[in-house]
Formats: sequence, structure tokens, C-alpha cells
Amino acid sequence: MIWLLLKRRALSAFNGLVSMKLWEFFIRLFFTLAGVAILVGLYYWFARVLRYLDGVQTIGPLLPWKLTSMALLITFSMVAISGLIAAMTTLYYSYDLKFLFSSPIPVRTLFLDKTIETAVYSSWTLGLVMVPYIIALGQVKGGTMLFYIYFLALMVPFILLGAAFGIMLSLALMYFFPTSRTRDAVWILGSLSLTFVYMMIRFVQPEKLSRPDTLEVVANYLNFLQAPTAPYMPSWWISRAMMGFLYGQYDKFLQYSALLFGSVIAAYGAMAYFSKWVYQRGFSGAQEGFRYGVKRAVPWTVERWLLFKGWLKGPEWTLLWKDRKLALRDVRYWSQLALIFAIVAVYLFSIRQLPVEGAAMKSLISFVNILVAGFVVASLGLRFTFPAISMEGRSLWVIKSLPMGMSRLMTEKFMLLSVPSMLIGVVLVGWSNLMLGADLFITALSTVTIIVVSLVCCCMGIGLGAVFPKFHVENIHQIESSAGGFIYMACCLAYLAAVLALEAYPVKMHFMDIIGHARWDMRWLSLCIGGLVALSAAAIVVPWKMGLKAIETYEV
Amino acid sequence: MIKLENLTKRFGGLVAVNNLSLDIPKGEIFGFLGPNGAGKTTTVKMLSGLVAPSSGSALVAGYDIVSQSLEAKKRLALVPDEPFVYPKLTGAEFLYFIGDLYGVPHSAQEKRIPEYLEMFDLSRWQGELLESYSHGMRQKLVIASVLLRDPEVVLLDEPLVGLDPKSARLVRDIILNLSRSGVTVFMCTHTLEIAEKLCHRLGILYEGSILALGTVDDLRKRSGQPLFDASGARVTLEDIFLTLTGGAEAASFL
Repeated sequence: MIWLLLKRRALSAFNGLVSMKLWEFFIRLFFTLAGVAILVGLYYWFARVLRYLDGVQTIGPLLPWKLTSMALLITFSMVAISGLIAAMTTLYYSYDLKFLFSSPIPVRTLFLDKTIETAVYSSWTLGLVMVPYIIALGQVKGGTMLFYIYFLALMVPFILLGAAFGIMLSLALMYFFPTSRTRDAVWILGSLSLTFVYMMIRFVQPEKLSRPDTLEVVANYLNFLQAPTAPYMPSWWISRAMMGFLYGQYDKFLQYSALLFGSVIAAYGAMAYFSKWVYQRGFSGAQEGFRYGVKRAVPWTVERWLLFKGWLKGPEWTLLWKDRKLALRDVRYWSQLALIFAIVAVYLFSIRQLPVEGAAMKSLISFVNILVAGFVVASLGLRFTFPAISMEGRSLWVIKSLPMGMSRLMTEKFMLLSVPSMLIGVVLVGWSNLMLGADLFITALSTVTIIVVSLVCCCMGIGLGAVFPKFHVENIHQIESSAGGFIYMACCLAYLAAVLALEAYPVKMHFMDIIGHARWDMRWLSLCIGGLVALSAAAIVVPWKMGLKAIETYEV
Repeated sequence: MIKLENLTKRFGGLVAVNNLSLDIPKGEIFGFLGPNGAGKTTTVKMLSGLVAPSSGSALVAGYDIVSQSLEAKKRLALVPDEPFVYPKLTGAEFLYFIGDLYGVPHSAQEKRIPEYLEMFDLSRWQGELLESYSHGMRQKLVIASVLLRDPEVVLLDEPLVGLDPKSARLVRDIILNLSRSGVTVFMCTHTLEIAEKLCHRLGILYEGSILALGTVDDLRKRSGQPLFDASGARVTLEDIFLTLTGGAEAASFL
């Protein structure tokens, strides 16, 4: 029976491939090539870091392995969290579950099918990112072809174990708390865990790994290097197995390899065995609706009162009221605020840690900082602004049948998202400038720039989000990771690069001014300002108009 | 009130609706019948502005659905076959939301929304999120939102699917009342018994084209069926429909 279920997946994939249009094929090809380019870039970066660490006197040979076990531990944690979040959707809320459960399919088989989906879905990207790392490590450590083959082979049970942790946790949660609210709780826990992992990675200051002087006692440092990183975790087992293989300790290699394969078989075997009782109960609970129990059906708020009085006129305000309500009640939406907080905190922490000397250098860093802050704003836009139109989902018919132009829907999204986007940009740039002690000119320039950049990115997000909508998705990540999301990010980055290039001239003149050699050419200056205005106007108008046309002609 | 002239919709090489022409006067309940995939839902979507016609024209209350779409949409209301509504709004919030969007005076909202919730047995669910509503409850809520707006034309796509007998009866009465008060009702349905009882006229759509149009008697004549069959039983709309669309032959395979 499991083969029949897997066959339907293979058939769906095959049908998707053969019915692919030429332009779709080229878009996929483009993404594949872009992905390969990123992996190649990662390989060079990993190789550089590992080679540097390996070259450190005396302790060098230990460092790459220490970094490897830390990287594997982080990968394992990420796969486990990702597995937990993915399992809550695929195991309990997939569209096809009702059909599958009503079919004469044994629960264990159904569970196995969904588990394979969860494991693959939650781990393939993280596993792929480890490939360039393994190749770089093998090169630095002089690994043979067999080293790569064995390492990649051991990565399979390692990743599967990570996913198994997440799946088991979801099974336990849904068994003991079989209600649709559990998914919300998992979303919050998942977001908080990812936030924690992300902040920890930065706050442990991995740069200290190559600077023993930063630890109080050198002996502490050596102890840290020699101690196993989480010895009871699969990340240590795979590190130890590969160290053993490389240094000819084949008994260790076999022992830890067997531990990995044995654990994965035991974990999936146990899950399959218990699923008959555990999974069915969890699935049944997940189908039960949650009683929200509002005391008053429409609570009176200032906003509602203003709408009632007619002081907030126009459908934009009503849509804004609706979107605010949906955002606050949808855990998937607001739980991401923790991640934003983490991004801002890590960003500011990194700025504070920058070893920058001299007023001019600090101002220059503040200027370049616009690019980084702009990137953060654009990335947040990918999560919040770009999916804004798609988030109307299957209820789009309500909006499309309204006697209202679609520009008002887009305006409402802009009203909702532009202010937070701008605030985050201003906080990042303003605080960084304060910490770096940037001069008045650079502070003013960077603040105005980030405000404009935030607004432009917001318009681009809404516009391109309407050009590439995805109204029928199971989760928001499918919107972010779509072709449209990639195009949105590419457009934002191109715009940011162009803005920085156009601002380079006045900034250069400003620094010349400081050392007393400035000769301002007003024609160049006018060209730069004119260019900035024209570029920003085009970056607002073109995607907006394209999005408007697309959503107006979109057929529900 | 609804006037279609050579309305056509193509999806690539497939002609979903082919040169459809209809004229439905004010206050009429028009039943739109046809097998699955005949083009009924596409027609409703074109009328409500969810799908653009490939050619031809359609007027709702005298306004062209393409060039004067906002004016047309002000006057019509839609109940789709799948009543997807915002899952994180409560039932009452959804009605206030629709009321605000269509500019229903707030005093009227305050008075009528509790009445409609009561009428559709949704009062005790009004504070619950719509994600916990059943299909039928969401269907009733969407119908309540339509009544709240006082439209001139109502488009109903399978309005009785998922409703319990009491609610189905209520919706039938509502449709009759709407018609009496001059509202035009365009209803797609597979419930032929209801269509026979409710509709003033019927149209049978087959492969995108109108196969037969008129009252039940007109359709009977068109199908060549007598008033009573050989056993003396009255020939129903179902018999006529199956004769016209070829379903009767399909049954012989059983």
C-alpha cells in the first residue's frame, strides 16, 4: 500500500514535469542555476574559513572539527524544529488527509507516507547547505573520495534523525493535547526556538574560535576544543565517525556509524509501531474546532467606534480593521515578531562589535550600513509585504466582488505595512549611527535614504506580490519561496545597489570636504539627486501598476 | 435586469461558455441547470466580475459588467458554491465587515445583523471564529451578508448544498420573498425538485451552450415528454433534464 501512495506522488511529480510550459521550465532552470551558484559561493567561503582555522598554530587541526561538530549541532536543531513545524501541517492539516483517512489505508501506512513527506520537506535545504561544507572540510583535511561518500551517506540518517525528533514531538503534543490550538502553540514555540538558535549563534561570538586570547585562561580554551560538543547528540556521532575514518580509527568509525543507522531505524520503527494509536488520536483532535468564546461578538474598540461614527471613511479602513484582526489572531503571523526582534538585536550587536577606528571610517561604515539595513527591510518584506495580497487566500472572491477598484486593496496593504517597515529601517540605521558616532551629514543622508528605501520596498512587495500571487497554499513559506519571492528580492537588491551607487558621489564629496579638498560639481550632484528621484519613482510606479493590472484581471 | 448577449468564455482551447444570450426581467427567479462542467459557475463568475468574458456582453441592472463593473457590483450579490470566508473573523464580525464595505448604515447594521443571526440559527455561534463553522453554517452566513446589503440582483451558485432541511426551507422562502420584493434571482442548482418549484423560468446549459430555455412546460415540450409517463406518474423536471442532456441513456449502463 505504501508503494501505491508513493506512486501517486511520483505520478503527480511526473505530470507536473510533462505539463510544464517552456517559460516555467526556464524559470526553474534559472532558480536551479542560482541555487548552484549560491552553493558554490558557500563552498568557497567555507573552504576559506576552514583553511584559516586549520592553519592556526598548534591548535589548528582541532579547530575545523570543533567547528564541524558545532555546525552539525545547529543543523540538527534546525532540522528538528523545522520537522516539528512541518509535521503539524503535513501530519494533521494537509488537504488530502480527510480523503486518505476515509480510504481503506492502514493508519501506519498513511503515517509512513506523511512522515516521509515531512522528513524530506523539513530537511532537504539544510542537508543541501551541508554539502559544500563537507566538500570544503574534505579538501582542507585531505579526505579521499571514500571520505566524501561515507560522510554524505552518514548525513542521510543524521538528517532523518533530526526530522524524527520533530515528528515525535508533534506526535506527543497532539496525543496529549489533541486540539487545533496545539498547532498555534507549536508555531509560537517553533518561532521562539528558531529565534533562540539564531541569537545564540551570533551571541556566542564564533569569531572567538580563532582568538584564544579572548578567553580568560588558555587552558579553558584547550578544554573547550577537546571536549565533545553534545556527546549524546547525533551531531557528535557523525563528527566522531568521520574523524575516526580520516585518522584511521576504523573501530570508532564503525561504532558511531552503527549508532547513527541503528538510531534512525529504531526511531522510525518505534514511530511506525506506535502511530496506530498515537497518530489517529492526534488527527482526530486536530479536526475539532476551537471555541473562541468572545464575550461580545464584535468588541468595541476605538477603531470600530471611529468606523461606526464614519470618521474613518472608505473601504481601506474596513479592510485595515479586518487585516489587523486576522494578523493578531493568526499565530503564524505574529509569532514571527520574535524573529524580527532577534534580527534587530543581532544586527545592532554586530554593529557594536565592529572593530572600527576613526571618525571618517565610522561614517563610511554608516553609509555602507544603508545597504545592510535595506537588505534586512527587504527580507522582512519578503515575509510580510510580498505575501500580503496572497494572504487574502480563498476569500479573495469577497474582495473581487466588491464595488471597489483593486487599487484600494493595494493601498490598504500599503497603509498596514509601510509604517512598521519604515520604523524597523529607521531604528536599524538610527541606532547604528548612534553607536558608530556617524557625523550629521551621513546620519541625515542614511535616515532619509532608509525611509525612502523602506517605502519603495513596501510598494515593490505589494506590487510584485500581486503580479505573482499564490492564493491556494498550505503555508506562507510557499509564497516566500516562490519564483515571485525571488524576483522581489532581486529587484530590491538591484534597487539598493543603484541607490548606493548614486549616493556615492555626494558621500565622496563630503569626505573630501572633511579633509578640505572638496570641489562640488553641481551638475554631478543634480544628476545624482535626479537619478535617485527617477529611480525611486520608477521602483514604486512600475511594480505597483503591474500588480494592479494583474490583480484586476486575476480570475478567481 | 440581467441581459446577456453572446457571452463567451474561453480557457485556452476550451470554450466553457459559448455565445450565451439571456434576458431575465426584474423579480424573476431564473434556474440555471446543467451537468457538471457545463459552464454554469463560469457564467456566474462572469456576471459577478470574478472572471472576465472573452467576448460578448452582460448587463446587470443596466450596467455593463466590464466597462461599468463597479456600478454593476453595487447592485448584485453573490453566494458562491464554496463559501470561503476569513477563518480568523467571527461570524458577527464578518457581517459587520461586509456591511461596512457596502456602506450599509451603521444603525441598520446594529438592528439587522442580530436579526439575521437569529433567523439563521447562528446567534450562539456569532462570537466564534469562522474556521470552526461547518460548510452549511458558512453558507448561511454568506446568505445573511447578501440580505444585509439589499441588492437588486442575487446570484446563487448551489445555495442549498450543505444546508439542513430547516435552513434549506428558510433559504427557499427567502428566495421567494426576494423575488416578490422585485429582486432578480439567478440560481445555479442541481436540486431539480427545488428548481421546479421555485423558478419562473429555467435554462439548461450543455457544453457551454443553451440547450433549452423556458418554463417547465416549455422544457417538457422541447424534450418531447408527455405530462404523465406510461405508469401515470407526472413527468418531473429530472426526467426532462435527463432526456435533454442524455443522462437517461447513461443510466441504461447500470
